[in-house]
Amino acid sequence: MIQLINVTKVYPHMKAPSLDGVNLRVERGEFVFLVGPSGAGKSTLMKLLYREELPTSGQVILDGKDVARLPRRAVPYLRRSIGVIFQDFKLLPERTVFQNVAFALECTDVPRREIARRVPAALELVGLRHKSRALAAELSGGEQQRVAVARAIVRNPVLVIADEPTGNLDPENTWTIMNLLNQINQMGATVVVATHAAEIVDSMKKRVIALERGRVVRDENRGTYGYES
Amino acid sequence: MSLRGWVTALRDALRNTARGNVMSLASMLSVAVTLLVLAVVVLLAVNLEEMAATAESQVEIKGYLCTARREEVKCGQRDLTEQEIEAILAGIRGLPDVETVTFLSRHEALEEMKRADPAQAEILSGYEGDENPLSDEVYVKVSDVERVAKVAEQIQAMRGVAKVDYGKEIVADLLAFTRAVRIGGLGLVLLLLFATVLTLSNTIRLSVYARRREISIMKLVGATDWYIRRPFVLEGMLLGALGAAVASGVVAWGYIRLAPAIQESVPFLPVVRPELILTDLTLALLGLGAVLGAVASFFSLRRFLNV
Ligand SMILES: Nc1ncnc2c1ncn2[C@@H]1O[C@H](COP(=O)(O)OP(=O)(O)OP(=O)(O)O)[C@@H](O)[C@H]1O
Ligand SMILES: [Mg+2]
Repeated sequence: MIQLINVTKVYPHMKAPSLDGVNLRVERGEFVFLVGPSGAGKSTLMKLLYREELPTSGQVILDGKDVARLPRRAVPYLRRSIGVIFQDFKLLPERTVFQNVAFALECTDVPRREIARRVPAALELVGLRHKSRALAAELSGGEQQRVAVARAIVRNPVLVIADEPTGNLDPENTWTIMNLLNQINQMGATVVVATHAAEIVDSMKKRVIALERGRVVRDENRGTYGYES
Repeated sequence: MSLRGWVTALRDALRNTARGNVMSLASMLSVAVTLLVLAVVVLLAVNLEEMAATAESQVEIKGYLCTARREEVKCGQRDLTEQEIEAILAGIRGLPDVETVTFLSRHEALEEMKRADPAQAEILSGYEGDENPLSDEVYVKVSDVERVAKVAEQIQAMRGVAKVDYGKEIVADLLAFTRAVRIGGLGLVLLLLFATVLTLSNTIRLSVYARRREISIMKLVGATDWYIRRPFVLEGMLLGALGAAVASGVVAWGYIRLAPAIQESVPFLPVVRPELILTDLTLALLGLGAVLGAVASFFSLRRFLNV
């Protein structure tokens, strides 16, 4: 599913690399936690996957395709196969919950009838079907992140990437989101989550990859967070 | 790209134009002003061209044929025979760019003078026949003023043609005038087009900037560049067309009032009648506004679309 071969990323005007010769493989259907101190390169790694950034050297291979080599016009299609969730939700505050989720389908020209069927299903999964008509700005943080989850999965992506999805949430909402991601994984999607939520990583017993200063320093199945939180 | 997609985009564009409120109104008006100036320039140029064309159509070459009385050496102090005259006329008709050739014999010319001034008829009668001091004349119209000098030269070179006249200075002035009108008009029009695109793209850029968050999210969820561009392109077209509509309205209103007044006070000026030009001008302005709006949006978005 995901393969990184000797990936190095140096941002412009930066001396130290943010990723430094990273090699890793994630198989289809896996659930992976990405941990490490702030500035370790977790977000950078994820950005390479959905091609917000390009690697300075090395290869990022998704589904057998070298992401960096994709022609510009193929990038939207790559992104459609990935659901991305952010710490700051990235919702459109003046639009309704329904519209925010439908948005991901509309901009890929999915027929209206299909949208009318799939959006409620996705909202049902995150338990927000009753809030369809509320404006995104009127929701609590936990609810907003659930909308973002619904938006990420409404297209049935093969890969879901979450970059500190619970960074702004209280413990209860953190559990809700993590359980949702776990559920999505059970339904077949590969899930990669960058997080500082030590307790949850420890108790979920998933594969844990730790980054420090741009290098993979630990990669264990049924791993733990491993840092003071 | 589906029709529904365009409809959604149009709705978005309308909403954005409406929401842009004051800024959009201000920029729509500045677009209207540049297009208005442009329309005025075009109307002026069209009228000047019309004037030049009228003057041009009046330019003709007048050729004097040889007679026994003419002093030019090439005439050899003898009258031309009918066949010789026919040959000359046929020769002129055969020249490239010649449109019409009219022949007026010196006898007809004299008769005409008599008719024109009966008081002098008695005296003029004394000059009939071989006493006639006039020359046979040919009037030649040429399809293009620029070719007049060349044609005149060719006629002058013909055997049996004593002399040609064609208002050399007037033709040169006329040509210089039309050229100046064309170059000046084109330069001004280009400048104004540029100004319009600038105004439009500034507005669109504000609109893009206000929605940059939305754009970045769209890109993240896999929207194509065209999907993102569409509402902005439509917004630009709408803004341009609205500006053009205002400009056309003002221009039409002004021209319909002004043209007859000018025509009346300067009757010999060929003022282009409003009904002959305003429809075309309005359509052209509307189309231009829309196209410029689309172009401006396209360029304003480029920076934001870079992956
Ligand atoms: N756009 C950028 N331009 C320059 N440097 C950047 C950019 N993004 C990240 N960096 C640098 O790259 C390094 C890794 O950043 P990254 O965001 O990947 O860390 P992280 O592991 O996600 O940290 P955190 O846990 O705080 O989110 C940092 O030193 C950061 O300063
Ligand atoms: Mg980060």
